[in-house]
Amino acid sequence: MTTVEERVEAPQKGFIGQNVPRKEDKRLVQGQGVFVDDVKRHGMGYVHFVRAPYAHANITGIDVSKALELEGVYGTLIGEEVAALTDPFFELSTPPGANIKDYALAVGKVRFMGEPVAAVVARTRELARDAAELVEVDYEPLPVLVDGEEAAKDEVVLHDEAGSNTVWQGVFDWGDFDGAMAEADKVVRIKRLHFDRFSSTPLECSGALVEYDRGTEQWTLHGNLQMPGVTAIWMGPALRCGLDKLRFVTQDIGGGFGNKICLHPYYVALCLLARKLKRPVQWTEWRTDQHMANAHGNERTFLDVTVPVLADGTMLGFSVKALDDCGAFPRYEPLGCIIWAQVAPGLYRWRNIRVDFQQVVTNKSPVSPNRGYSRMQHLWLCERIVDIVASELELDPVEVRKKNFVRTSEMPYETPNGCVYDSGDYALCLDKALELIDHGSIEARRADAAARGKLLGIGIGSTLDSGTNNFGQSTLLNPELQFSGNNEVATVKLDIFGEIVVTLGTVPQGQGHETVAAQVVADALGVAPDDVHVRVGHDSYANSHAGFSGTYASQFAVTGLGAVKGAVDLLADQIKRIGAALLAGGVTDDVELADGFVRRKDNAEAAIPFMGVGAIVNANNAILPPDVRDVTLNARYVYVPPFELPDFERKFGNLTLTYATQIHAAVVEIDRETGVVDIVDYGAVDDCGNRIHPQIVEGQVHGATAHALGAAIHESFTYDEEGNLLTPNFYDYHVPHALDMPPMKNGYIESPSPFTAFGSKGMGEGGGAGIHAVCAAIQNALGPAGKPIVYDSCNPYWRVWEMLQAPERTRELVSVSDA
Amino acid sequence: MLLREVEYARPASVDEAIRFLAANDGARALAGGQTLINVMKARVASPDVLVDLWGLEELRGIRLADGGLELGAMVTYSQLMTSSEVATARPILAEVAGQIADVQVRNRGTIGGNVCSNDPTNHLPPLLVALDARFTIAGAGGERTVSAEEFFVGVYMTAVGTGELLTRIAIPPGSRDGFAAVTIGKDGTCIVSAAASLDGEGGPRIAIGCVDAVPVLVRDVGEVAGAVTMPPSDVHASAEYRMHLAQVLAARAVQQAKGRTAA
Amino acid sequence: MSEPVRSKTVTVDVDGTSYEREVEARKLLIHFLRDDLDLTGTHIGCDTGNCGACSVIVDGTLLKSCMMLAVQADGTRIETVEGLAGDGELTPLQQAFSSHHALQCGYCTPGMLMSAKYLLDSNPEPTEGEIRKAIQGNICRCTGYVNIVEAIAAAAK
Repeated sequence: MTTVEERVEAPQKGFIGQNVPRKEDKRLVQGQGVFVDDVKRHGMGYVHFVRAPYAHANITGIDVSKALELEGVYGTLIGEEVAALTDPFFELSTPPGANIKDYALAVGKVRFMGEPVAAVVARTRELARDAAELVEVDYEPLPVLVDGEEAAKDEVVLHDEAGSNTVWQGVFDWGDFDGAMAEADKVVRIKRLHFDRFSSTPLECSGALVEYDRGTEQWTLHGNLQMPGVTAIWMGPALRCGLDKLRFVTQDIGGGFGNKICLHPYYVALCLLARKLKRPVQWTEWRTDQHMANAHGNERTFLDVTVPVLADGTMLGFSVKALDDCGAFPRYEPLGCIIWAQVAPGLYRWRNIRVDFQQVVTNKSPVSPNRGYSRMQHLWLCERIVDIVASELELDPVEVRKKNFVRTSEMPYETPNGCVYDSGDYALCLDKALELIDHGSIEARRADAAARGKLLGIGIGSTLDSGTNNFGQSTLLNPELQFSGNNEVATVKLDIFGEIVVTLGTVPQGQGHETVAAQVVADALGVAPDDVHVRVGHDSYANSHAGFSGTYASQFAVTGLGAVKGAVDLLADQIKRIGAALLAGGVTDDVELADGFVRRKDNAEAAIPFMGVGAIVNANNAILPPDVRDVTLNARYVYVPPFELPDFERKFGNLTLTYATQIHAAVVEIDRETGVVDIVDYGAVDDCGNRIHPQIVEGQVHGATAHALGAAIHESFTYDEEGNLLTPNFYDYHVPHALDMPPMKNGYIESPSPFTAFGSKGMGEGGGAGIHAVCAAIQNALGPAGKPIVYDSCNPYWRVWEMLQAPERTRELVSVSDA
Repeated sequence: MLLREVEYARPASVDEAIRFLAANDGARALAGGQTLINVMKARVASPDVLVDLWGLEELRGIRLADGGLELGAMVTYSQLMTSSEVATARPILAEVAGQIADVQVRNRGTIGGNVCSNDPTNHLPPLLVALDARFTIAGAGGERTVSAEEFFVGVYMTAVGTGELLTRIAIPPGSRDGFAAVTIGKDGTCIVSAAASLDGEGGPRIAIGCVDAVPVLVRDVGEVAGAVTMPPSDVHASAEYRMHLAQVLAARAVQQAKGRTAA
Repeated sequence: MSEPVRSKTVTVDVDGTSYEREVEARKLLIHFLRDDLDLTGTHIGCDTGNCGACSVIVDGTLLKSCMMLAVQADGTRIETVEGLAGDGELTPLQQAFSSHHALQCGYCTPGMLMSAKYLLDSNPEPTEGEIRKAIQGNICRCTGYVNIVEAIAAAAK
């Protein structure tokens, strides 16, 4: 593959921008990583959850007595105990969603198949499993809701306390949509589009080993969750304990992708068990459990999409009714009801947008912020709009994008709802993506494919990966919430022997934070990354952190590194002050840091090694002049992005700090007779500003693309009418293996962000560009076969075949009228 | 993921294996374990006794026989792929074996296990029906040999009864063979499969997999529509789509077979 | 012992060390390695034999240890990721994985390395297609396999 690099500004010096070897690798390639299931404690009990076999049912009785009789069983936990010992989890929504009661185990009722109903703890894994089969639960089945539109009718209500299945509802109205309709030459209407449920299914399942100290009433959770700050906010009040009684320790995590954010229900159950049974308890999720009862990505249906268009192809905006299905319990929701607004107009200069957004519960797995969270779903809508409008009005999809793209000259660009696109060059990225797949040869390749009985198509997917959230956007959903801004913490210290030690507030799951943080520190202190020790993983008792600490939402390059930069700059300053005091009469401008020394700029021999500085401050401070005795060589910095509280009335404000661009192009071949789709060529161009570690950035792009390609063709969490998940394991839920991946060519440009310390932008979620590109490519390929409309984000062979068989059925979804 | 308690026996001979299988109704033969152990992990089935056949050399071996092949039931998919006898006598076996899952599965999965589990989505049942293979079953009373149609009885059910063991599979001579499948991803589980063999004594044989409890055998592509009566519907394919694929793949398997030169 | 048994003593050589343990017949080899022998380098990523995180080499054969019973491994020689680097000296394959950024979270890496080793031991100059076929039984959710394929090709040279 080819890598094309263009630096828009002067290159960075030092380690930033280089592919330094990863610190994480040495232990990981030797199998010496410490993942949750690797952690053991003497006397620990293994937990197995008894799970609901019905998607919706009243629990009329639970009997654990037979399980308790089995030799080796330490104890059990059931919903009644949970309801007595804990308070329901904090809900983010306004009523009716606010009234939902969510506990660690099902209380009185089960609302999705696989929901944990009871827990059994035993001496071995096998015994816990055996004992679980002896737990008797009686159920009274209730009608099952697996369709969001059905749920919205409120004929069957899942949560009696809420009285409705609607978690949140609101209308977003920016610009003047009615005026746009009046101005339009044509109106394109799309009745219905559907973004399917899927998730990034990290290879390591969720889990924790929980210890309870009776003397101090403190829990230690060795787990793999991504956001300890938020988890503590959920768990503390539920357990009726102070947040400092919860110590979260993670070391290596086998992928998160947003699927390890809502682990608090399981963790509360484990905490109760550890306390009740007076022993450490260990739980690792099974793969089938992860698919059924951990978290899915949001499922969203778009109804009555209306797009006013001018004759020259300029789109003026759109209106839509969006129905989001968040599964049985909201948890991190309804934040998904606003997060999409970070990219409300997609990459386009659309000024008139109206979205009637409703989120409902159904008898399916709860959702969590799966990679691309909520923006991906919305960007898919935007790309479907562009693709369908272009197709229906016979406009060139490349030209129509360029016509409607936000221009680089307009950046920073304020969108209709007050978000600010910091930088980018969408047209350039698009051109490069087309170059990578040799766009000029497409028609020849189409003819060649046709001769082989295949339909060839090309599609473009353009997305933005918005990073570093302003949590104030939650107040646009619920003005009572006390969340806003964002933060991340880092500490950097110089120890007594001159060791440089960094702790991060982030919780890496493979993104290389140890390595990248070391690059930043090395550059600031004039040492090599090997001289910088970054503490592995995250320990909430040892790593300083703040409310929003964690690893999620494409923000490490900005928040995490912003914190590291802030802390190391403070430390550098302190080292210089010591050096200046001892070498330069207190004039810090006369000293510099280089090669692990602080030294006079005019005389490199007049130098003190870092070890000397550390030793003096820590153990020999009487030799220091009084005015530098405040130096601690232990710097803590909290990075706070410059956000304001958004305007509730107008639903207006800056919701994210940075916007990375992904423009991908896919070429597919479809077998006319079978509907089998092959991706035969793929080009991906990404722009995340200045790349701190290009190899790590590329790795994220590869991985996000693989997730998207899986979601575009195979990955779907599909339910039957009874609420059975039909894809609970890797046989039926097919993720890309090595042979499934197309030849992928990658290109990069760097449009630095004016808003961040290094001009870099968070990246890693990828926005689902592959989904959008493949959907467009399939639609393009099927053009000669009756011009069906691609209406679903996931297009397995059977759906493609149906589009081939009956294109008129999908064409009924679209209409074009004169305005 | 965690099995129920089970007993384990490692017989030293086929006779001893048969003895163990006959002694307990809940005894099952353990071949490569690539299906049975997964079934036990899910606790969908929990045999009382596992009779481990891995060490039985009598069940291994690939021999040329009467222009065709004699395959021991414990021959692995990897062994089919690397066998010079298979390459000479009936290469379709190696080609299809190479499409099954992955290297790890192919190193342990056996042809006996594949046919005896008779999962409708397995590759070998339709292939062996098309090749008109013959199956030798040993029991306390001796050996018997059955045709492929007689061997595959129902979903997960074969002619191998309690206390019996499949010992070998005989492949008649032939070379104009074809196999076509639509799978869930590359080398994934079959959604529909079709195997064709044109050199059989009784004329062309086309066997369709994944559309019924056992492979559906026809003589001509035109017969497929009538013979596939109740194709299943699931998350990967509707009944209608399966029926359509059955016809398309049958034709492709036949095309492939015609494209090979006669022996 | 010829008669069926509920448990038995097994002796295995894992990465050059001999172990003897009493084990239930139902225990999977992967759980035996991880729980009984405390060799947690090999991982579990699924419960249906698809993901390959548990891949090890038993008597020279690459297989998934979640589909083998510990009792079946009695008397065998097992190679896992933990035996690759003698005395902490990374092999060229492990080095290549690191320098080509063929791992992010590292969870699939142990199984992936064993599959790669198995390939290169018998096919020192694989094509790209052969590499992909060789690791088809190892799922990775982080890398999209791009750098893994590059790393294995680089190690082959």
